[in-house]
Amino acid sequence: MKLKKAIALLVTAAMTMSMMTGCGSSGESQTSADAEKQTQTQDASKEDSGEIKEFTAFFATPGSEINDDNEVQQIIAERVGAKCKETWLTGQTDKEAIGTMIAGGEYPDFIEGGSATPQLIDAGALVPLDDYLDQYPNIKALFSEQDWDKLRQPDGHIYFIPQFGTVKGRERVCTHNDEAFWIQTRVLEWAGYPKVETMDEYFDLIEAYNEANPTMEDGTTNIPYTILCEDWRYFCLENAPQFLDGYPNDGSCIVDPEELKVIDYNTTPTAKRYFQKLNEEYQKGIVDPESFTQTYDEYISKLSTGRVLGMIDQWWDFAYTAEDSIKSQGLDAQGCQYVPLPITIEKGIKNQWHNSGAVLNVSSGIAVTTSCEDVEGALQFMNDLLDQEIHNLRFWGVEGVDYSVNENGEFTRTAEQRLQATDSAYKASHLCTYSYFPQYSGTSDDGINANKSDGQETEFFDGLSESVKKCFDAYGAKTYVEMIGTTEAPGAWYPMWSFSNSLNTSTEGGTAWTLMGEIKHEYLPKVVMAADFDSAWDEYMTAYEGCNPQAFLDEMQAELDRRMEEAAKYE
Amino acid sequence: MDNVVVRKKKNMSAPNVIFVICNTIFMIAFVVITLYPIINTLAISFNNGTDALRGGVYLWPRVWTLKNYTTVLQKDNLITGGYITVARTVIGTLLSLAANAILAFIVSRKRFLFRKELSLFWVITMYVNGGLIPTFILYKNLGLTNSFYVYVIPGMISAFNMLVIRTFMNGLPDSLEESAQLDGAGYTQIFVKIISPLCKPVYATVALFVAVGQWNSWFDAMLYNRMSSQYTTLQYELMKLLSSVTNQGNSVESMKHAAGTVTPTSVRAAATILTMLPIVCLYPFLQKYFVTGLTLGGVKE
Amino acid sequence: MASLTRVKTKAKTNELRTRFSWKEVKRQKVLLFWSAIIVAYGIVFYYAPLAGWLMAFQDYKPKDGLFGSAFIGLAKFQRLFSDATFLRVIRNTLAMGVINLISTFVMAILFAILLNEIKSKGGKKVVQTISYLPHFLSWIIVTGILHDALSTSGIINELLLKFHILEQPLNFFAHPKYFWPLVAFANVWKETGWNAIIYLAAITAIDPSLYEAASIDGAGRLAKIKYVTLPGIRPTIMITLLMNVGNVLNAGFEIQYLLGNGLVQSVSQTIDIYVLKWGISQGDYAMGTAAGIFKSLVSIVLIVIANQIAKHNGEERLF
Repeated sequence: MKLKKAIALLVTAAMTMSMMTGCGSSGESQTSADAEKQTQTQDASKEDSGEIKEFTAFFATPGSEINDDNEVQQIIAERVGAKCKETWLTGQTDKEAIGTMIAGGEYPDFIEGGSATPQLIDAGALVPLDDYLDQYPNIKALFSEQDWDKLRQPDGHIYFIPQFGTVKGRERVCTHNDEAFWIQTRVLEWAGYPKVETMDEYFDLIEAYNEANPTMEDGTTNIPYTILCEDWRYFCLENAPQFLDGYPNDGSCIVDPEELKVIDYNTTPTAKRYFQKLNEEYQKGIVDPESFTQTYDEYISKLSTGRVLGMIDQWWDFAYTAEDSIKSQGLDAQGCQYVPLPITIEKGIKNQWHNSGAVLNVSSGIAVTTSCEDVEGALQFMNDLLDQEIHNLRFWGVEGVDYSVNENGEFTRTAEQRLQATDSAYKASHLCTYSYFPQYSGTSDDGINANKSDGQETEFFDGLSESVKKCFDAYGAKTYVEMIGTTEAPGAWYPMWSFSNSLNTSTEGGTAWTLMGEIKHEYLPKVVMAADFDSAWDEYMTAYEGCNPQAFLDEMQAELDRRMEEAAKYE
Repeated sequence: MDNVVVRKKKNMSAPNVIFVICNTIFMIAFVVITLYPIINTLAISFNNGTDALRGGVYLWPRVWTLKNYTTVLQKDNLITGGYITVARTVIGTLLSLAANAILAFIVSRKRFLFRKELSLFWVITMYVNGGLIPTFILYKNLGLTNSFYVYVIPGMISAFNMLVIRTFMNGLPDSLEESAQLDGAGYTQIFVKIISPLCKPVYATVALFVAVGQWNSWFDAMLYNRMSSQYTTLQYELMKLLSSVTNQGNSVESMKHAAGTVTPTSVRAAATILTMLPIVCLYPFLQKYFVTGLTLGGVKE
Repeated sequence: MASLTRVKTKAKTNELRTRFSWKEVKRQKVLLFWSAIIVAYGIVFYYAPLAGWLMAFQDYKPKDGLFGSAFIGLAKFQRLFSDATFLRVIRNTLAMGVINLISTFVMAILFAILLNEIKSKGGKKVVQTISYLPHFLSWIIVTGILHDALSTSGIINELLLKFHILEQPLNFFAHPKYFWPLVAFANVWKETGWNAIIYLAAITAIDPSLYEAASIDGAGRLAKIKYVTLPGIRPTIMITLLMNVGNVLNAGFEIQYLLGNGLVQSVSQTIDIYVLKWGISQGDYAMGTAAGIFKSLVSIVLIVIANQIAKHNGEERLF
C-alpha cells in the first residue's frame, strides 16, 4: 500500500509542479506572458522609461551567461531602451548548433555563427546590413571604408560586423596577450638579467639555471621546460617556427612581405632546427617527459606549483589560471611568475611575437537574422552600446561601485574592486559586458582612460608583483609588451588565419589542412622524443608530404593574392 | 519482509570460510576503489579553486571554502531548472515505466500473434538513429520544441527497458496467466492485478534507469528549448555554467576574447556533488523492492 | 544434486506459434489495441527520423534541407572506405568495444553475485549504494583522477617503483599498448556497480526454496552460485549480452577523447571521434550519417547472428 500512496503523492506533486511552471500552456503564450511580467516589473521600477525592447542573441562560442536580473544590464536597458538575452554554445560544435538552427529555420535576433557563418549567409538567414549602416554612426565609425569593403561577401553585401580588434584613439596595451617563449623571473634574476635573444640562448640559460638550482625553495624539483600539446592547444609545440623566423602570427603559414608569397613554416630549415633543439633538450632531460601526454588541467597544475621554468604558450591560456594561482600562493616572491622573451632563431632578426594596431577578422562577426522583427531597433541597440558612456558601463562597471574617478579624471580601482571584477558570481549578477557585441580597445573619448580596464596603465602597475617590476626595470621595460617589443601590423593580407579558420574538407586544400593537423599531432611528439632525430624527421616529412600540403598552400596563396588585389584598389 | 535467502543451518565448512574471507576482501577493495573518486570529488568541491589547481588534493580539502557551492547555487534559473527537472523526472519516469511495462507485457504473452515481430520492431530502434537534424525537424513539426513535452514524450518507450521487463515477465510461471483466465480475467486484469505486483523488483530497476536518465539529461533542453528559459533544466543550467569555463574544441582566436576563464575543476566537483545527492537518495528507497514482493514461492508450477 | 536440475531454464525453442485466426484476434483485442498505439508511436519517433538517412546519399546543405539537396549516390561511403584512417578507427572501435563488453559484462555479473553472498543486510545495502556512485561522475572527472594516479609521479608508479617492478617511472599514456586496457579499466571502474543493478534485480526473483533445496542437498556456497544463482539470472545475462553485442561499435567517444593524445592517436580514435573530426566539425553531415548507417547495419547484422545462436541453443533471445 505504501507504494500506491507514494505514487499518488508523486503524481500530485508532479501535477502541481507542472502547473506552476506552466508546461501545459504552449511555448509561445508562455513567452509572451513572461515578457509581460518583465515589462510590468520594469514599469514598476521606472515608469517613464517607456517600453524596453528585448532582443535575443546566440553566440556559437562558449561564454558566460549572465543573470536575468543583472544590474548593469538593467541600467543599460533603461538608458538605451533595450536589452538582450544572450545564449552561448554548450556541448556542441558551432557548425552543429548552427546546422540545427538552419534546419529549424528559427533564429534569435542576433547571431554570431563562428566558423559556420558562411552557412548562415548561404541559408539566407542574415539580413544584409549595407543599406542600414549609414543611419548608425557608431557602427559605421567602427571601420574604414576599406575595411567595410573587406567584409563584403561575394554577393556584394555586408552581413556581419566583427566585434573585436577595433582600436579607438591611442592604443593601450600592457599585457602581451599572445604567444611567446615565457620564462620565470627567478631564472633571469639569477643570471643577472641577461639579454636573451635566440632559442639557443634561451635553452642555455634554462639549463644553466636548472643545474645550479635543481629545486625550488621548498625542495620541489624543477621542471625546466614543458610543452602543452593537448588537442587544439598544440600550438605551444607546433607554430613557433613562424615567430622564430621573425614573422607575425598569420596562424597557418608565413607570408613573405616582399614577394607576397605564402611559405610553409613546417618545412623551413628553422622548423627543423627548432625541433632538433627540442629533441636535444628532451634527451638531456630538460624537456618534461610528460609533455606529450599531459592534459591541459595537468599542465596548468604543473605551472601553478611554480616548478616549470619556461614554456611557449599564449598569455590568456595560463595567465588567469596558473599565473593567478602562483600569485595567490605567494610564489611571486620566489620569482615564479612568467615574462616573455623576444626570441628568434638567430640574432638580428626583428621579432613579431607582438603586433600593434587593429586586426580585422573578416571571417565572422555579429549579425542580425531574418527572424528579427525589428532590424532598426536591433541595430540601434548595437549602435547605442558603442556610446562611450554605455561602453564604460560595459567594460568598467558602475562609477562609485566598480571604480572611482580621481582628480585627474582617471578611473581607478581598489584591490577589492579588482578582485570583485573577476568573481564569477559577481560578474553574473552585476557586470554586463555584452562581450560579443562590437567594442573598442584603445583610449576613451575623454582622452585619459583606456576603453577596457586591462589597458589602463595605472591599473596594470598596481597589479604587478615586486619581482616582475624588478625584472621589468632591469630590462628598461614598463609592460609585458615592452619586454618583447612590438611591430606595426603587417600588410593588408593580415591575418591569414581568418581564411584558414573557415577552410573545411569540401576543398582539396581544406582536406590537406585537416590532414596536416592530424599528422603533426602524431609525429611531432615522436620527432622530439626520438633517439635518432634525423630518421624521425625524415619519417615525419614523408608523412607530411603525403597530406598534399601544396594544395593547402595554393589556396592560401590565392586568398593572399585576392586580398592584395582588393587592397590595391585603395592605394 | 523475509530475506530472499533463507538459511536455517549455518554452513561453516572450510571452503565456505575461505569464500567468505575472499569475498569480504574483494568487497572492501571494491568499495575503496569506487569510493575514492567520490571522496576526491567531495574534497575538491570544498577546496579553494585556485589552490586546487596545484593538484595534490586527495581525500581532504587543503584550503576549505564553500565558494564553489555558492558559485553553483547563485546560477540564475537554478530554481526553475530544479522544478522542471523534478517534474520531468517524476512524469517521465511514470509514463515511461507504464509504457514499457505494457509493451513488455504484450510481447511476453506466449499466445500473442505478433510476438516476434513486435519485439524485432523495437530491438531495431536500439541500433538505428536518424541523426540530429531530422529528429530536430520532426520535433519541430510535432510542436514539441519550446515545450515541456519534449522531455517526456520522445524516448518514452525504450527497447532496452522493455527487454529488461520482458525477461523478468518471461520468467514468471505461465500458470499464473492460465489460472486467471480460467477465472475469467481479461488481459488488463492479468496485467494490473497479477503480473505487475510480481514485477516490483524489475519495475524498481527500470524506474531507476529512467529516473537517472531524466535527471541527468540536458542535451534536449539545450537543443529544443534553447530560447525558452522557462523550460530549462537543472543539468542544462549547470552545463552552461561549466562550459563557460571549459572550452573543448575551441580555437585560439575565440579564446583570446574569453579572457578571465578559470579551470573549472572545483566548480565542476561542486556541481557534481549537488546533482548527485538527490538522485542517489532515490536508490535506498527503491532498494527495498529488490528484496520484498517475492511471493513467487507460493505459485510454483 | 538431482533436484537442482529443474532450476535450469526451460528451453523455449520449440514453442509453437499461435495460429492466426479471427477468433484469436478477438481474444487478443486488448493486446492488439495497445500494440497498434505503441507501433504508431515507434514509427513516429524512431522510424520517421530515418528519412535522415537520405543525407548520406546527398551533398547535404542546410539551406536546401533534406528534400532539396542534390543526390550524389554512394560517394560518401566510397570516401569512407577508401580512407585508411577510417579502416583504422573501425579496428580501434571494434577492439575497444569487444574488450569493454567482456570486461564490464563479466565484472558486473561477478559483482552482483558476490554482493548477493554478503550476509549482512546493512553491509549489502551500503556496498551496493557506494558501488553505483561512480556512474554519476562525468568522464572528465574520472579520467582526471586516472591521469593523476597514473602520472609519472602518481601513486601507481610510486608503488611499482617501491616493489621494484619498474626501474624508471612509466608514462602509461605514451604507449599505444596500454591504451585499450586503460579504457577498459576506466569503464569497469565507472560502471560495474551500475550495470550490476539489473542482475541484482534478477537475483531477487530466484525462488528462495531453491536455495533451501540446495542446502539440503549439501551444496556449498560456490555450488549454490553455480547451480542456483547463475541459472536463475541466465535469461537476464543472455538478454544483456545480446543487446551489448549490437553495441560493440558504440565503444564511446568522450573517454577516448579525454585519455588520448597524439602519441596514441593510432589506437585511440574511434568512429565517433572520426565523425566529429571529419564530418561534424567540417559541416559535413552526410559523412556523419554515412558512418551512422554503417554502424547501424553492422549492429543489426551482429544481433541477428547472435540471436540465431541464442535461438539455436535454446536461450532467451531478443526477438
